[in-house]
Amino acid sequence: MSNSRIRKGRRGRVSAAVASLAVAGLVLTACSSGDGDDTASDSQDSTESSETQEEAADDSAAEESTTEESGGMGDMCGDDTIRIGISLPLTGDFSQPGQEAQRGYDVWAELTNNAGGLLGRPVELVVLDDASSQEQVVTDYNNLISQEKVPLLLGTFSSLLNFPASTVAENNEMVLIAPAGGSPKIFEPEPKFYFFAQQATAPDQANPFVNMIASLPDDQKPKTAAYVSMDDPFALPVIESMQEQLEAAGVETVYTGIYPEGTTNLQPQAAAIAAQEPDLIAQGSVFEDGISLAKSMVQIGYSPDFMFQTTAPSFGAQYVEGVGEGNENGVFFAVSWSEKAPTEGNAEFVAEYQAQNGEGLVPSEDSANAYVAAEVLQTAVEAVGDCDNPAIADWLRANSVDTILGELSWDDIGRPQGDFLLAQWQNGTVEIVAPEVATTNGGELIVPKPGWQ
Amino acid sequence: MDLLQVIAFGVLLGGVYALLASGVTLIFGVLDVVNVAQGSFLVFSALFTWQIWSLLGLEPLLLVPVMGLLMFVIGWAIYRGLLVRVAPQGPGMTVLLMFGVAIAMEGVLNIVFGNEFKSVTPPYFTSSFKIGEIVIPYPQMISGVLAVVVLGGIYVYLRKSWAGRALRASAQNKDGAALVGISATKASSLAFGIGAMTAGVGGVLLAIMYPVYPATQYDWIARLLGIIVLGGMGSIPGAIIASMLLGISESIASAYVPQWAPVFFYGAILVILLFRPHGLLGEKTREDVAA
Repeated sequence: MSNSRIRKGRRGRVSAAVASLAVAGLVLTACSSGDGDDTASDSQDSTESSETQEEAADDSAAEESTTEESGGMGDMCGDDTIRIGISLPLTGDFSQPGQEAQRGYDVWAELTNNAGGLLGRPVELVVLDDASSQEQVVTDYNNLISQEKVPLLLGTFSSLLNFPASTVAENNEMVLIAPAGGSPKIFEPEPKFYFFAQQATAPDQANPFVNMIASLPDDQKPKTAAYVSMDDPFALPVIESMQEQLEAAGVETVYTGIYPEGTTNLQPQAAAIAAQEPDLIAQGSVFEDGISLAKSMVQIGYSPDFMFQTTAPSFGAQYVEGVGEGNENGVFFAVSWSEKAPTEGNAEFVAEYQAQNGEGLVPSEDSANAYVAAEVLQTAVEAVGDCDNPAIADWLRANSVDTILGELSWDDIGRPQGDFLLAQWQNGTVEIVAPEVATTNGGELIVPKPGWQ
Repeated sequence: MDLLQVIAFGVLLGGVYALLASGVTLIFGVLDVVNVAQGSFLVFSALFTWQIWSLLGLEPLLLVPVMGLLMFVIGWAIYRGLLVRVAPQGPGMTVLLMFGVAIAMEGVLNIVFGNEFKSVTPPYFTSSFKIGEIVIPYPQMISGVLAVVVLGGIYVYLRKSWAGRALRASAQNKDGAALVGISATKASSLAFGIGAMTAGVGGVLLAIMYPVYPATQYDWIARLLGIIVLGGMGSIPGAIIASMLLGISESIASAYVPQWAPVFFYGAILVILLFRPHGLLGEKTREDVAA
C-alpha cells in the first residue's frame, strides 16, 4: 500500500559551520524550487488569465455568462475554466510518488475535459511543487487559496505532507481530498474538510491480512511473529494494529522493533529477527527499508512462513528487481487498487494513463489514488452543482461515491469506511487474494511462503 | 543474537562509509570546499552503472574503473569550469554552488532515468558466506575490500607520487607551493577529480547494495558530512575512523534500540566536538597530509 512514502528530510547534523551553510543552502534551494520562480510565474499567469473569486462575484456580467453556460450552477467556481489547486512533492524525498500522483491527476483532467468538463466547464490543474517539505506545502496551499484564489483543492502525497496541508484547508474551510494520508494522527483534530480517498485509514490496512490468517487451518497458522516498522505515521499504525490483533488471536510476539525514518540498512534488525525464528515477519516499510530487510533475510538464510510488508511490494517491478527475482514470491501486502479490478471507469483510467505515459505501462497505485481523489471531488461538485466547499463537505459526509477503487464513503471526520484489498506476489504477478468479492485468482493463497531463491 | 554478527555488519557498513566519505574529506583538505554535491555524484555513478549493466549485462564490478575515470573527468571539469571562479568568494559561496550542482544533477538524472528506484542485481547481490557463525554478505565484503584498495591507493599516491606531493604542498600552503612551481589550480582540480573519482567507485557499489533514485543523494550527503566532521575535516584517517564508529554504532543501536540509532552517532559527534572542535584527527592528520 503506497500511502505514505515518508522519507523525511535526513540532513546531517554536522559542525556549526557546515550546518549553518547547509541550512542556508537548503533554504535558498527550497525557496527557489517551490516558492520562487514557479510560484511567481504561476501567480502572474493566474492574474493574467482569470479573475479572482471576489472579482468574479462582483462582476455581474461574468456571473450571467457563467450562469448561462452552466445552467445556473457553479457561480462559486469562478469564470469559465475551473481551476483546481494542488501541491505535490515533485522534487525531494517524496518526488517519486509525487510525480506518480501528478500523472493520476493529469489523466483525470484529460478524461474530464474530453467528456465535457466539470459542470460543463473545462478544468485546469494548478500544480505547485512542495519539494517534499512540510513548510513548503503550507506555503503552497496558502498561495493557492489566497493568491491563485482557486475555488477547489486536491491533496498532496503522504500523511506527512497532508497533515499540515489539512490544517490550511480547515482554516480556510476548503475541502481537501487526499490521495494519500490515512495516518490516524490526521484525524485526531476531527477535521471537517479533509477526506481520505482510499478505502480505510492506516490501522485498518492490517485487517484483511489478519482475517486471512484467522481463516487458515490451525496447523497452518503462525505461532510466533516479529513486528518491525519504520517510525512512519502511516506504516507504524498498520503494524501496531496487526500486532494487537494477532496477539489477541494467540500469535506470540517474539520481536518488536521501530526504526527511524530514513533507515535504509536493516541488516542488524534482520539478524535480530532471524535469531528469534518467527513464523511471521510483518514490516511497516516504505521502500528501501523493505528491500533491505528482505535482502538481508536472503543473505542470512532465514525464510519465514509468512511475510507482510506495507508499501514496498506495491512498487511492482522495482520491488522485484530490488529483492531479486523470485524472492518476492509469497509476500503479502495491502493495496487500494488493482489494474485488474472490474470497477467502473478503471479500464478507461488505465487506457488514458498508457496513452499519456507509454503503452503497456501499468499505472502505479499512487497514480490511481490521485485519480480517485479527483473523481471524488468531481462527483461531489456535480452533486452540489457549485464549488461551495462547505456544501461539498456536507455532501461527502452524507453520500458514497463510486470510484475505480469501488464505492467510498466517509464518517463525520473524513475517515473512509471500507476495506483494503489483500494482495500477494504469486509467481511474478500480483494477485488480489481478499476480500472474496475482489479476488483476481479465486482467493488462492501461497502458504507457506516459498523459500528464498 | 550474536553481538559479533552485529559488529561484523557494522564494520562492513563502516567500510562502505569510509570509501564514500574519503572523497569529501580529501576535497575539503585541499580546497577548503565542502562538496555537498558528493551525494549526487554517487547517485550519478550508480544510475549510470545501472544503465550500462541493464543494457549490456556487464559484470558491474568491471565498471568500477570506468565510473571512477568518468567521475574524475566530471569532477575535474566542474572544478575548472565552475569552482575555480567561485572559490575566491569564500567557502559559503562554494557550498551554495555545489548545492546548485547537486540540485541540477538531480534534475537531470530525474529526466534521464525517471523517478524510479534502480537496483543492480548481479548473481551475488543477495549471496553471503560464513566465517564460523558470522554471515558476511558478498556485496558488503566486496565494498570493504574496494574501500581498502581505493583508500590505500589514494594514500600511496599522495605520499609517493610527485603529483601527490604537489597536491599536499598546495594544501599546506598555496603561496609557498606556487613559489616552487606548483600550480594551485592544477593541484586543486586534481584533488577535486580524485574526490569525485571515489564517488564514481562508490556509486557502482551503492547500486549493488541499495536501490537508488535521484533523490537518494540526500540520504548519503547527510551521513558523509557527519563522518568528515567527526573525523576531522580534511583528514582521511579521521574519516575512516569516524566511518567505522558510525557503522558499528549504527549497527549495534539498530539491533538493540533501533529507534535511537541516529542519536548514538550524532550524539557522539556533539560530545566529541565539545572536547575536540576539530574532530577526532582534524589537526593531526592535516599536518600529516601536508607534511
